[in-house]
Amino acid sequence: MNIYQPHLMRIDEVVAETSDTQTFKLSFKDPQVAQQFKFLAGQFGEYSVFGEGECTFCIASSPTREGYIECSFKAAGKVTQSLKRLSVGDTIGFRGPYGNNFPLEQMKGHSVVFVAGGIGLAPVRSVIWNVLDLRDQFKNVTIIYGARSVGDLVYKRELAAWAVRHDVKLWTTVDPGGQTADWKGEVGFVPAIVEKAAPVATDAYAVVCGPPVMIKFTLPVLAKLGFAEERIYTTLENRMKCGLGKCGRCNIGPVYVCKDGPVFSAAQIKALPPEY
Amino acid sequence: MNSKSLSLAELAALVRDLNASGTSVVAPVPTRSLCGADYRPITELNQATLNGALPRRSLKELFLPASEVLLRYRLKKNDVELLPVPTTFTPQVILGARPCDAAGVAVLDRVMGWDYRDELWFGRRAATTIVSLACPGFDGVCFCHAVGLNPDASLGSDVLLVPRGADAYWAMPVTDKGEALLARGTFADLVEPAEVTAFRKAAEEKVAKNLASLPSGFHTFMAQSFDHPEFKAIASRCHGCGACAAVCPTCHCFDIVDEPEGMEGGARRRNWDFCATCKFTVHASGHNPRATQNERFRQRVMHKFSIYPQRFDAVLCTGCGRCVRACPAGMDLPEVLGHLYAAQAAGGVS
Repeated sequence: MNIYQPHLMRIDEVVAETSDTQTFKLSFKDPQVAQQFKFLAGQFGEYSVFGEGECTFCIASSPTREGYIECSFKAAGKVTQSLKRLSVGDTIGFRGPYGNNFPLEQMKGHSVVFVAGGIGLAPVRSVIWNVLDLRDQFKNVTIIYGARSVGDLVYKRELAAWAVRHDVKLWTTVDPGGQTADWKGEVGFVPAIVEKAAPVATDAYAVVCGPPVMIKFTLPVLAKLGFAEERIYTTLENRMKCGLGKCGRCNIGPVYVCKDGPVFSAAQIKALPPEY
Repeated sequence: MNSKSLSLAELAALVRDLNASGTSVVAPVPTRSLCGADYRPITELNQATLNGALPRRSLKELFLPASEVLLRYRLKKNDVELLPVPTTFTPQVILGARPCDAAGVAVLDRVMGWDYRDELWFGRRAATTIVSLACPGFDGVCFCHAVGLNPDASLGSDVLLVPRGADAYWAMPVTDKGEALLARGTFADLVEPAEVTAFRKAAEEKVAKNLASLPSGFHTFMAQSFDHPEFKAIASRCHGCGACAAVCPTCHCFDIVDEPEGMEGGARRRNWDFCATCKFTVHASGHNPRATQNERFRQRVMHKFSIYPQRFDAVLCTGCGRCVRACPAGMDLPEVLGHLYAAQAAGGVS
């Protein structure tokens, strides 16, 4: 088997999350591949538009939802701009799942705090639904999500669903100036809202994902709240081509994001050189 | 199998026999400019230059071509047809490979087989028999001895030839494939003669003078020296052209791109790429984790002498010296290593 040969997937559904961000629901065209495909929250894939190339992002759906995968992407580069032009019924390529995953088994029996910014909610969403689909195996669930403006919030339907659940504490926020007249959430940067929400660190894990500046200022807040570095997980991105540890592009010092990551604890990240 | 004696005439007959049986033979062939040689197919031994220059480019491209089709696609309405490429290849014998080049291929087997097996690489490996020719020590730049090899190293070779004068060789089979190749002829057994031992010893002594061996614990020192000022001082000359990586037997970074072939389809290719170039790590957002040339040069040195050794227990360099000869800016890897040796000796972890 040629490891660079993708599987073909059909686009079953397209959701426009924001003006430049979309979610695709995808199913494998080959029923045998569909049946055998398994992944874990945090893993990623190489998605291809034939004629344009491949791009890398996480699987944004939960492994508990079988028979399809979802991915969310921002039209930023050559391939994602081409992806954006596709519609329901079109065919794309997919290689994966690659990389490691969030430690769901370890988190079972504990509280989980999710902190996400912007499109960073995509990998976190996979873990959120994974946890919510096994809700009785976890203690408190807190979700803190922010974006630059109300228009930049992704997964709005799911935010609404989480907001009305009694077993989830949801905080949504937009950056100052990003609110609309009818905005009912918080106004402020994510780290400040984490401080305000003050989730209890005892017996809890934190999953953090978003822009580097958000992560940078959120980690000290979590530390102040008592979260140990070994209990804070995030997912890193670096430019990647193969996803298989061959092409020599994604390494951060001795660590290959595609093979050792993309999920790392804050303690692991602290030991890395600043090349991400 | 015992080691053998091969005359030039017997080697020429072997080349003809291989070609006649459908096995292609590749050997160093003088370039048109007569400046150096390239590994190219031959039909007759006299087309090759076996005791001449180090080929300009390494053997890498025979296993990882500079541009290679990974698959082809045909676009249809709402659908795509994928046309796989074969992962089995015509048998070939590489005759007169430099030991540093053969070793480079063996070093790369480790990353190409890391969890996911690269069938295009290993398909070519399986189809290829490498006959190396011990090197007399090419020039004052090569430093194979420093990275744990030697001008007569057999790593990656299936047969090692050592010259005996101008028209004969002593042949040592290294692998089963090498034995099978030597079994194609009726070559006389030959215990290693004194002149062969003398050639090997002289070559080793010559190359050992070019650079001292990597000090013990060097890759650990490197891992702890990410911010060593030496990198900044050294890298300022680097233009980021990537010539060093193109000629390197072990640099293996690549890009994957789609290339349309007409309106209805095209090829997905992997093309060599170079970590020294400025766009290598740029994110779609514009953020570049290695924004300066210093960082990019450091990555190349770190990958070879710290990251790969930590990960695969092998130095990602065979000391061929091509990077030094190819660099338009005069970057000199053995000189850089010398500086880093001195920093380690001085306990200079910053």
